[in-house]
Amino acid sequence: MNGGILMMGLIKGMGVTLKTMTQKKVTHKYPDEPIPMPDRFRGIQYLDPDKCIVCNQCARVCPTDCITLTGRKNPEKRGKVLETFDINFEICILCDLCTEVCPTEAIVMTHNFELASYSRDDLFKDIHWLRENNSNIRSENNVNARGVKK
Amino acid sequence: MNVWMLLGPVLLLGVVLGFVTYAILLERKVLGWMQGRHGPNRVGPWGIFQTVADVFKLLIKEDTIPAKADRTLFKMAPVIAFVPAFVVLAAIPFSEDLVFADIGVGVLYIISLSSITTIGILVGGWASNNKYALLGAMRSVAQMISYEIPLVMSVVGVVMAAGTLNLTGIVEAQQRMWFIIPQIIGFLVFFTASLAELNRTPFDLPEAESELVAGYHVEYSGFRFAFFMLAEYVYVFAMAALTTVLFLGGWNPVFGLEFIPPLIWFVLKFALIVFTIFWIRATLPRIRVDQLMQLGWKVLLPLALFNIFLSALLKEVLEGWY
Repeated sequence: MNGGILMMGLIKGMGVTLKTMTQKKVTHKYPDEPIPMPDRFRGIQYLDPDKCIVCNQCARVCPTDCITLTGRKNPEKRGKVLETFDINFEICILCDLCTEVCPTEAIVMTHNFELASYSRDDLFKDIHWLRENNSNIRSENNVNARGVKK
Repeated sequence: MNVWMLLGPVLLLGVVLGFVTYAILLERKVLGWMQGRHGPNRVGPWGIFQTVADVFKLLIKEDTIPAKADRTLFKMAPVIAFVPAFVVLAAIPFSEDLVFADIGVGVLYIISLSSITTIGILVGGWASNNKYALLGAMRSVAQMISYEIPLVMSVVGVVMAAGTLNLTGIVEAQQRMWFIIPQIIGFLVFFTASLAELNRTPFDLPEAESELVAGYHVEYSGFRFAFFMLAEYVYVFAMAALTTVLFLGGWNPVFGLEFIPPLIWFVLKFALIVFTIFWIRATLPRIRVDQLMQLGWKVLLPLALFNIFLSALLKEVLEGWY
């Protein structure tokens, strides 16, 4: 009879909820505990100014033009050293192109993503801030980078 | 006339308010667990101040009354809805000694007073002068009146088996066997109808958060809204207590475990009923309006009538046994 099937369905459903009650929770304690991100996650960049050769490729490839950098002549040997490097996170889309194009892995991605702030000015990050952002660095960035032994 | 006549109800009100506070928290916790979540855990340790914070928020809200509302009725409606909810608790025996009014027609008293809340809901919907509130109130009243009939009819079986309308007498009649066993049909009808009376899932059409803004209380805010909600949860208390008394043997112990005090037994059975109500809410979807009326009139009422017939038959055939 129809009623019997309905009752069985109800009892089955009650069993499902009772079982779920004792099972492991699927939620994260996110603000209290950080969420581990997968390794290829594209987070806020870390910058190593010593590795940078001021080739300007990152600024050129950036689709939103959020990177500005300047360099000066290296007083000791050939080439240039980095003087300023700014990323405007108001417009950065964390697309990973600057990392892919960087020949020396001077700019790499991290797993950090918390940028929320009460002021837009705080989103303009300079060379010092990006150098300090050295936690949770992605292990694999540019496989073709020069001078990186793999 | 002694000091307890004044202090007792105040104490009971405190207990009921404490119950409502933590029933809401526990409901949200249980719903969370059953959905693989933790439930509220931000306000205080384990979220114990969540309801307190929610109620506080309601109390500091602006008390709005719509311009075209019937002001007197609008203000009276939450009171009409709440007072019967609390007054019915007077007749419920929590243990042998702990009963405020041991009246002879206890069952009748509770059933009849609890119907007054329906008027409060209708008045609230009418006085809001809002078509949605009025429609919500009408739907709510239709549901509550429809389900009151099977609710009362299912209690008749218990009354026949116990031979009294007095709640203490009904509990004493269950010393050998709880009425849930011989009156299983009555219990199922009573429990289903009481869910509908309480406007709880799967019969929460009057509120239906996920479909409607609200039912009869769309125009209410702050303190008055809190009173409607309070009335609802006090009814959960009353209904769970009544179910315990009528079908689960009240304060009678199981398996002769008499060293546990009767009041604890009552609380345990009561908590089981409350948990089951939450459990059902976490499991079942809301039923449709047409199914609601069909279930009430075409299924529950005939079942309740059949149960009366069966009870009468068994009482005659198995005399002394039953």
